[in-house]
Amino acid sequence: MELQIKQLIKNYENKLTLNIKDLIIPSSTFLGIIGPNGAGKSTLAKIIATLENATSGEILYNSNPFTPQLLNDMTLVFQKPYLLRTTVYNNIAYPLTLRKIDGKEINKRVCEILEEMDIVNLKDQKAWTLSGGEAQKVALARGLIFQPSLLILDEFTANIDPSSMMVLEKTIKRFYTKYSPTIIMVTHNLQQARRLCSHVAFINKGEIEEFGEINEVIFNSKNTATKNFISGEIVL
Amino acid sequence: MREMINGIIGGFKILISLDKEVYEIIFLSLYVSLTSTLLATLVSVPLGIFIGTKKFIFKNAVVRFIYTMMSLPPVIVGLIVFLFISRKGPFGQLGLVFTPTAMIIAQFILVSPIIVGTLYTASKEKGADIKRVAKTLGANKTQTLILLIKELRFSICTGIISGFGRAISEVGAVMIVGGNIKGHTRVMTTTIAMLRNMGDYENAIAIGIVLLILSFVINSFLYHFQ
Repeated sequence: MELQIKQLIKNYENKLTLNIKDLIIPSSTFLGIIGPNGAGKSTLAKIIATLENATSGEILYNSNPFTPQLLNDMTLVFQKPYLLRTTVYNNIAYPLTLRKIDGKEINKRVCEILEEMDIVNLKDQKAWTLSGGEAQKVALARGLIFQPSLLILDEFTANIDPSSMMVLEKTIKRFYTKYSPTIIMVTHNLQQARRLCSHVAFINKGEIEEFGEINEVIFNSKNTATKNFISGEIVL
Repeated sequence: MREMINGIIGGFKILISLDKEVYEIIFLSLYVSLTSTLLATLVSVPLGIFIGTKKFIFKNAVVRFIYTMMSLPPVIVGLIVFLFISRKGPFGQLGLVFTPTAMIIAQFILVSPIIVGTLYTASKEKGADIKRVAKTLGANKTQTLILLIKELRFSICTGIISGFGRAISEVGAVMIVGGNIKGHTRVMTTTIAMLRNMGDYENAIAIGIVLLILSFVINSFLYHFQ
């Protein structure tokens, strides 16, 4: 899904928190959004996912304004996932039941993704008994199962252990290779952005300071704020 | 102490006695309390979720009003309902005074704020998360409402249990609007009050035991459902 962001402004209590002049995210881009705390990264992700309203400006999805039907084709995975008070299986199956998919097909797809993410053992476990890493795996599986063409990840591996993070990254990579969706990943972790993303946007004080191919931005940035951020974050 | 022991034994005897008058009292108690709780649930669950998840003008004042209503004295409710439905009241022509319907209305007013308050608190805490997840997974408005009700079922049951508890144990309001008329509006709580006035403590305790047993059975059912 191609995204065009035009003159997007978000104010919180009369304070400008986001000011994106023009940004085009081509279809099948894996974009990392990086930047310091409070830069507006998560706000941008939530506005794209229509969980928050912009003060002004617009976002076009495949050159069209937002319509509720688009919600069937996009999702956002949160840093702290909310799992439904039911089993892991029912959590993952939920988006498919919303789309009235046949029971056999649901079972097939849920079992496939459980195996892919190596969480078959959690299938019948109640969601509230899961650890943080397990819960995030279930949340990601639930987000991927309906094969959205726009996937937004909001610091989805923060606060989880390295081995769970690797499983999640592997799953995302496999999903990206197989279905070529547009992925927008908000992250503090530059190493993770390098491992996963094709492009990166550096946001500072609500504005996009730099946008381009990942290695170009990290190694050849001409922007001082970007260079300072990168030199403080990355160990080469 | 002797009255207590005899009362407990008497309670079980009453349950197996098949006495028509006693069973009428039990059934009317259940009818009035269950109907008022059911009607209050139908109105209060969506209302509590609405107040908990939406922003609107005077919301804080509405919430304070609901919390105040949660501790409303039953006799006050009974008195107000009575004034509205008495012959000279605005709804006097409906002929509701001293009828089970009047008792249901009074209990509905007592039970509703408890369920609304419980659901408001629960949906304020979890509602935003549930709505957000529903939206990110593609749920429409109806599907989101269904998900909210499913996810808040624990709180819904807690509200119903608390509300039913208030209804079945309440005496002041039903006494005023129902009048404790034998075979017509006499329920377990008004019977207990009447027996105590007559000095018949054993039978008062016996009816109280029946009331407790029924409450236990209904609450166990609701707890299981939860």
